[in-house]
Amino acid sequence: MEVITANTKKPLTVVGIVVLALFAAFPLFLGQYWLHTAIVGLFYVMMASSWNLLAGYTGQVSFAHAAFAGVGAYTSGILAAKAGLPPLLGLPIGIAVAAVLGLALGSLCIRMGGIYLSLTTLGFSEILRIIVTNEYEITRGTMGLKTPPLFGEYSKTVSFYVLLAAALLILWLIRRILNSDLGASFRAVQNDETAAASLGIPVVRVRILAFVIAGAMAGFAGSLYGHYLMLITPHILSLDLMFLVLAMTVIGGMGTFIGPIVGALFLETLSEYIRVYGEYHILIFGLVALAVARFAPQGLVGLWRQFRSAV
Amino acid sequence: MTDFLLYLTNGLVMGIIYALFALGVALIVGIMNVVNFAHGELYVLAGYFSALFASALGMHPALAMIMATLCVFVVGLIVERTLIRPTYGNEMYSLIVTFILSIVLQNGYLLIFGPYPRKPPNLVTGATNVFSLFMYGNQRLLGFALALVMIVCFFALIRYTWFGRVVRSVSIDRDMASLMGVNPQRVNLLAFGLGCALAGAAGVILTPIFPVTPTIGVGVSLTAFVVVVLGGMGSFAGCVVGGILLGVMENLGAAYISSAYKQLFGFIILISALFLRPAGLFGRKRA
Repeated sequence: MEVITANTKKPLTVVGIVVLALFAAFPLFLGQYWLHTAIVGLFYVMMASSWNLLAGYTGQVSFAHAAFAGVGAYTSGILAAKAGLPPLLGLPIGIAVAAVLGLALGSLCIRMGGIYLSLTTLGFSEILRIIVTNEYEITRGTMGLKTPPLFGEYSKTVSFYVLLAAALLILWLIRRILNSDLGASFRAVQNDETAAASLGIPVVRVRILAFVIAGAMAGFAGSLYGHYLMLITPHILSLDLMFLVLAMTVIGGMGTFIGPIVGALFLETLSEYIRVYGEYHILIFGLVALAVARFAPQGLVGLWRQFRSAV
Repeated sequence: MTDFLLYLTNGLVMGIIYALFALGVALIVGIMNVVNFAHGELYVLAGYFSALFASALGMHPALAMIMATLCVFVVGLIVERTLIRPTYGNEMYSLIVTFILSIVLQNGYLLIFGPYPRKPPNLVTGATNVFSLFMYGNQRLLGFALALVMIVCFFALIRYTWFGRVVRSVSIDRDMASLMGVNPQRVNLLAFGLGCALAGAAGVILTPIFPVTPTIGVGVSLTAFVVVVLGGMGSFAGCVVGGILLGVMENLGAAYISSAYKQLFGFIILISALFLRPAGLFGRKRA
């Protein structure tokens, strides 16, 4: 659990601004290839951070997060490709549909906890994937759906700044939520539902709200990502993508604000280096995630904190 | 009508094998409250082992099947000891760990065995005319019989042996059982190994019919979860009923509604069962 004290906050803000400035200057000195990596990394930052809000802070380990990204991507993608709707209008619709499905799934899971919730979300995610793969007429199945870019001509630099702004918006929102009463309720619900209820926290509403917020954020990320790739395939709502999001969060540090950001950027960069040696990057991610989960359950952030307190 | 009976037979054969590997999940859930996401990957592992033993080492197919199941049992013990034991008491954590493990194994298989389907040799060949209505593969009939025998053995083990008594007592009340001198860690270890061995047994039975590929285990795990939830988490008899029910429904649904949506039926059952009985069709209350 993250505790922010007054004296640790300042240097962190400075570090944050420096990192951000460096990041914002990426298009100036990065080639097209690494710019693509950075964009994908930003997508995963959004995915891992919003999943962490649900799983790491309210303890609802959902396997449907990739599915929500898929809902966002396919909603605005289909509207643009079939109905000619401008992606900028499709984007909020995609978010809304993901949020509504989040509401539905969250309500469905409300009386369940633990492994039952996880199995239900898994079932939901697979149902969506099967439907999208099979409804060839609408989604073009595994062939992939061609979508236009978000606005204007396709440009990696523009996409980078759009994704960067989106990621910052998401992170800012998550930060706001975590530091608000709602964030405190999230943690209370995770620690002990009964105790939280006895303190007057509306447990049901808090849990569903977490699903809606996380679902909307995933829909937002997925929709942007779909318009960046300009080709949406059922891979976006597969368990493979879900695994990446989970591995990034676990490796970075579940239940911390920084953890998923570090994990996503670290793993995405790492995967580009590993790719040179063949398609083993998922295996290596898995082994790293397994080792982290086994020996350092707090992830890289936890290790860093241990190191700092030891020095 | 003949067609209908054929689909029904198919459903029954598949259902019994579903029940066999789902019993492994039910055993592990009942004892440890751990859902093993890597269950299907152990099924795949058994398939690879038995293909390897039979073709590379030249073992008799039947011996290869037994050896492969034993190997998976040992793998299960190792997994429990190294990965699952540290997660005791935190069910979400064990879920995350086994989910990661399943991805690691899938990609490991891809690296070692390649993406091509592998298949151990058949034990028997040819087909039999069933009820003088349709021809049915002997290998499938044998698989059905083997799975049935394994299930009967499993029930006998749970019902009549010391181990079975311990398993039942731990799943009813863990603390009380440990007060009575049961070593819960050892029970967990054995139960996990046995659960994995059941996946392995189903694997060696089914892979001569449906060859294994590195990722086929995902479907197996998901099917096992559906069966376990449908039959009632932790209930062994429910597992058998649930397995047969799912096998029959899938095959009839695929034949008469849509084969592309074969898997969908299972998930719809999964979610509705979980929704209608939210505490699980558990047989016991959860805290």
